[in-house]
Amino acid sequence: MQVVVIGRSQVINSRILLCHECDLLIENQDVCEACKVQCPRCGHILYKQKHNTISHSLAYALTALICFYPAVTQPIMTLEMSGLSQQQSLISGSLILLQEKYYVVAILTFLSSCLVPLFRLLLLTYVTLSITLNYYHKSLIWSFRLFHEMEEWGMLEVYMLGIIVAVVKLLSMAEIQPGFGLWAYAALLLSSILATTVLNPHEVWDALLDRKTREEPC
Amino acid sequence: MASKTITPTLPDKIITGKEAGLVLCTECHKVHRYIPDAEQECKCCGADLHQRKPDSINRTWAFLIASMILYIPANTMMIMNVAYFGADEPSTIMGGVILLLQMGSHAVAFVVFVASVLVPLFKMIGIMLILFSLKYKVNMTDRQRIKMFRFIEFIGRWSMLDIFVISILAALVHITGVAEITAGPAATAFGTVVVLTMLAASSFDTRLLWDYKRKNYKNIELKQEPAAD
Repeated sequence: MQVVVIGRSQVINSRILLCHECDLLIENQDVCEACKVQCPRCGHILYKQKHNTISHSLAYALTALICFYPAVTQPIMTLEMSGLSQQQSLISGSLILLQEKYYVVAILTFLSSCLVPLFRLLLLTYVTLSITLNYYHKSLIWSFRLFHEMEEWGMLEVYMLGIIVAVVKLLSMAEIQPGFGLWAYAALLLSSILATTVLNPHEVWDALLDRKTREEPC
Repeated sequence: MASKTITPTLPDKIITGKEAGLVLCTECHKVHRYIPDAEQECKCCGADLHQRKPDSINRTWAFLIASMILYIPANTMMIMNVAYFGADEPSTIMGGVILLLQMGSHAVAFVVFVASVLVPLFKMIGIMLILFSLKYKVNMTDRQRIKMFRFIEFIGRWSMLDIFVISILAALVHITGVAEITAGPAATAFGTVVVLTMLAASSFDTRLLWDYKRKNYKNIELKQEPAAD
């Protein structure tokens, strides 16, 4: 039985809000245009009224996907030492650790710096593109849920800091040249952060559940 | 753009969703009527519905204790070995920070120290304090506790920094006979600590922070009947 809804289309008829973080029941919350509603007890943002974020997010997600392949495979840095040189790409770090039999660390770095960010971008593109094209399929619902559940396991920005620390550690020892992969990586980082921060998840849920209720009411 | 923030007034008589027999879907934010003693799924998005995360406190303790045990080898064992012209130079996490300080890069040393020493420590102590506060009286207000928890959730992932640095260095400095950097056993331990503390934070249900004051749950009659479908 559907009781309430935190969202644009249905909030007008809704009477009750529940806080996500402290379970406070708020009755008779008025609708407002272009605003955020905050929980009076714990300060959690209950819902945001912000429209037209889906197409923006789609644009950033597509940009990020284009940057993904060069960012992962192209060398991020080249190290020169005693006439010898060595290149490093996002994926080679995990491969070397795998060869050294540090399986846990290798898998952890591979997952959090490559696979999870890629998977999240693909899911985001799938969901936002489908909404834009007015296409609906059941898998969209779990795709967007999965996108949210993996949120904290994609760590592109931490990796960026890792690159900076690694460069500083090596500066005294050898000469380091940035590679094409670094620029692609920076672009990937920027566009994927924008794609997720710009997006208003409540708007996506509204759109998805609107389309779902046309087929079967929930 | 959503700029204005509206805070509804806190009602005189606080009622939680649990007391009203409601359950919130944490994924799509729909509110449903709770069916006791049944496995309930959100009819809209298919997520499992729970009024509180199942076994939240036990799970959080389990992850927390496991991470505390692994924190010891993570700090005492070698995290990275630098072989420079055949001479091995193993280092621990703190050793790496001290090395950076000696090199004169104070800012980076500070960042590494915060990410790999302070953050895990603060996280473990913070989660423990929050867990204790559910049972014993702790000199903190509710708002302070939720703010602390949100902060812990936010900083958790940044401890992965050291693991990434090792993977970058191991791939980059790999010239046999001249200079070679290899990972050490502490890397595995440290990576696991980070994952476990993140799992501890995500298995904790923040709604429990407010529940401890209201042990006697009564089913409160709602003034308004929820809309039927």
